[in-house]
Amino acid sequence: MTADIESGIVRATKPPSEIAPSPARRRWKRLRSAISVLATQIALLILLLVLWERATPANSPAAFMFGSPSAISGFLVQMARDGSLWRDTYVTGSETLLGFFVGNLIGTLIGLSLWYSRFVSRVVQPFVIALGSIPIIALAPIVIIWFGTGLISKVAMSTLSVVIVALVTSYKGAIGVDADQINLMRTLGASKFQIFRKLVVPASLTDIFAGLKLTVGFALIGAIVGEFMSSSEGLGHAIFKAGSLYVIPKVFAALVATIALALVLTFLVGKIERLLMPWRRPV
Amino acid sequence: MMGRADSGEAELTQRARVGTADPPLIVERVAKSFDLGSEIVPVIADLSLTLEQGQIISIVGPSGCGKTTLLNTLCGLLAPDAGHIRWHGREVRGQPQNVGYMLQKDLLLPWRTALGNTMLGLEIRGVGAAEAENRSRAMLDQLGLHGFVDHYPSTLSGGMRQRVALARTLVNDPDVLLLDEPFAALDFQSKLLIENDMVGLVRQRGRSLLLITHDIEEAVSLADRVIVLSKRPTRVKAVYEIEFGGDRDDMIALRENPDFSHYVRRIWADLDVGLQ
Repeated sequence: MTADIESGIVRATKPPSEIAPSPARRRWKRLRSAISVLATQIALLILLLVLWERATPANSPAAFMFGSPSAISGFLVQMARDGSLWRDTYVTGSETLLGFFVGNLIGTLIGLSLWYSRFVSRVVQPFVIALGSIPIIALAPIVIIWFGTGLISKVAMSTLSVVIVALVTSYKGAIGVDADQINLMRTLGASKFQIFRKLVVPASLTDIFAGLKLTVGFALIGAIVGEFMSSSEGLGHAIFKAGSLYVIPKVFAALVATIALALVLTFLVGKIERLLMPWRRPV
Repeated sequence: MMGRADSGEAELTQRARVGTADPPLIVERVAKSFDLGSEIVPVIADLSLTLEQGQIISIVGPSGCGKTTLLNTLCGLLAPDAGHIRWHGREVRGQPQNVGYMLQKDLLLPWRTALGNTMLGLEIRGVGAAEAENRSRAMLDQLGLHGFVDHYPSTLSGGMRQRVALARTLVNDPDVLLLDEPFAALDFQSKLLIENDMVGLVRQRGRSLLLITHDIEEAVSLADRVIVLSKRPTRVKAVYEIEFGGDRDDMIALRENPDFSHYVRRIWADLDVGLQ
């Protein structure tokens, strides 16, 4: 960019990307550091698995107590073949997704709309804190009585684990909006609803997505706890059953599937975040 | 010409002289204080001023004298305790119409492009999308941002961001602009360039401008009249009619004019800086 004092005009001769070091070079640098991080992570994982395998020879008491990577992968293969791995993952995955969706929808809607009234939000505050401090596990027996032992009760558990966090993060985002920015909207003649829609909601997106990432795990915990209490399928059911029968490697096998599910869901939330907030994409 | 005004009287006589059409903005004996619970802090003691059509007034004052409170009161974000604010002769409830407001912070919305940010006010007022876009593009062009229409604020320099903020203000076609140290954060060169463009656009359309600043040189180089405010609780301490005669477009040459430094010295003395 060159500036011409005489004519008082700022003239753009180059796009801003060329002012900084060349993008190809920067991309390559970023890629290289990403690769070395990934390589170190994989090496650490392999090291851990090798040590674990060495410490738990077949038929030893240690193998019974702690399982071994080979036994765990054996169970994984077996569960994949008989289809239970996919069915259980599907069941837990859909419970988690439904709970995640419903909980975040309700929580975010309430959290954002509390911005509308200082009075209502002050009235509601102690109740929200009280509800938020209840351990969700303590609600499980009641949830099963109310919603039965099927899908709905797991979704309810998952929703309950998510809703308060979603409410608090979105409310924080909404009230954190710069007062000067609200004043600017007012001087432009914006109504309260226009301020809400054009400023408060998009400005809260960063906090809402932070909440979404956090609540993926909470939704999964809710679903698994629900399955622990009473269920006939799902990863939580598989873990609980294998644990009751002292088949430790199978517990780990189901746990591996649970972790994989959590990773996939977190990855998807990150993807959606980048899609919905393109202005935060590095240019 | 230089003259001093103690309070409202001088303004009122001047208004009578100007006569018929109502000026865009008249401030009459406005007072404002803040209740801090333990004490009441008077910020504006008694302030009157008149902004004529096409006039540029700079307001300077010692820091913390309540300049920003004044501006927020003028645009209806705060209610005065006493006095009257008349826009085109009428007192307004809430936000006055056709008034543009701009701060040192650009306040651009990070999720909107330069174009999207510029269109904000038109969108709020319900102007059709196609018209809003055309007008916004034209305004960005005029401010030298032609190639940056689709850029997000995070990819623009400070000067360019402030240009977008100016475009967002001007595109609504306000007849009065209220600016609170809009270019204070910019480097000297960007500041001169954007001031030049702004004054051009203001004068070209016969708009009126009230500029709050702590930069005396900026105040003198831009304004037809400089109003010096006293320390808090603030009142008008002095009024200077800035007259250079001839062309005022070249802001660098203007600073070399002997009258320029004369004005600056007088205003500096009025501000009583360092004699607390």
